[in-house]
Amino acid sequence: MKLTVAVSGINTIDNPGPGAGICRALKESGMDVRTIGLAYDALEPGIYLDHIIDKSYIMPYPSGSREAFIERIKDIHSRESIDVIISALDAELPIYMDIEPVLKDIGIKMLIPSKEMFRLRDKLRLKELAEKIGVKAPEYMSCTSLADLHNAVNELGFPCMVKGPFYEAYKANSPGEAEGYFGKIAAAWGYPIIVQKFIQGDEYDVIGCGDGNGNDIGVFAIRKMTITKLGKVWNAVSIRNEKLIEATKRVVKGLSWRGGFEFEVLLEDKTQEIYVLEINPRFPAWVYFPAGCGINLPARMVQLLTGQDYDTHSDYKSGKLMIRYTNELVKDISDFEQISTFGETSEKGE
Amino acid sequence: MDKDKLAVLAVSESGFIFDPVTGHSYTANATGLKILELLKAGKEPDEIRSVLLDEYDSTEDEVSVDVNDFIENLKKYFLI
Repeated sequence: MKLTVAVSGINTIDNPGPGAGICRALKESGMDVRTIGLAYDALEPGIYLDHIIDKSYIMPYPSGSREAFIERIKDIHSRESIDVIISALDAELPIYMDIEPVLKDIGIKMLIPSKEMFRLRDKLRLKELAEKIGVKAPEYMSCTSLADLHNAVNELGFPCMVKGPFYEAYKANSPGEAEGYFGKIAAAWGYPIIVQKFIQGDEYDVIGCGDGNGNDIGVFAIRKMTITKLGKVWNAVSIRNEKLIEATKRVVKGLSWRGGFEFEVLLEDKTQEIYVLEINPRFPAWVYFPAGCGINLPARMVQLLTGQDYDTHSDYKSGKLMIRYTNELVKDISDFEQISTFGETSEKGE
Repeated sequence: MDKDKLAVLAVSESGFIFDPVTGHSYTANATGLKILELLKAGKEPDEIRSVLLDEYDSTEDEVSVDVNDFIENLKKYFLI
């Protein structure tokens, strides 16, 4: 069964998208898959990774016209006969949630959360979510002004975490540091800025995928060993923490989660209690790591959507190490010309 | 003592210890490795002290301090 799967988030940069990892996982799954990259910029590295992405197209920004977005997908679909789209960027999920029925009508399947699920995992609703799944949430306050910030740090004390609405988080030890980070994050990502009580502990992540009926089709847990300045995992080790796995399953069941996700938590040193930090509503950039350990979630998602048999087990070994590294490709300027002029790459071999 | 936790700890001959529950790793010296192996084998602290006294040229006080310190460290890191 030959399948065509379009994947976004192929920006494998310092703040990497998951797209390239998803395509690599699909290519190594044993399925006969043609992978299509959906990019927003002609220099997204995934466009040039032709060993894992067969062809790429430039998409209109999801914040723009909904009609233009749909028309572009229809245009690509008319040439590629897309079976499945795996959306891998937070910013485009709202538009995909809107147009999923339209895509379904033309034969394109997606496994993404509903608007209600998406709303529940919002950073500003962590307490509600934590109660629902039986874990703790660090105390936090949402700020849209310096006055709010001063109020929050007085309330929560130091050290505290100053976090952006989408990315970046810093530990502030003084009012001066908090103000500095507040300005820096606001300039880059806008408001609200979240000030969170600092909990001493280690950060862990669990990747998973829900079928929309309260069942997971596999989960995989890691400890972050090193992270970048943007808070992205750089090196990690697989772990078997049953308490964490059970909490993840409660997330899937409690929200009837549909699609890929990343459950970010902190285990407090003193108590070993789980604090939920965030639920990202898509596969994380390290999605290839579990695939390399036998939990190929992109492949399982595609198999589920296309009516094939798929595994649901989470049997993997702890102590597997993920080492991320940087690399360079040498391409011709004509490759850049092709994508920037025509909005799509050439077929392989052309 | 958390015997379940002790059972899942991965301990190599080099003294490298991996905790599969937390993902943390540690390195123990030869004496620490010996104590850990004995704990994993189900020995009580008194039995471990006796084994070490037989194997090492140390006084009873020295062995007691070493065993107690090491066990306290294991507890501190939630390894037992």
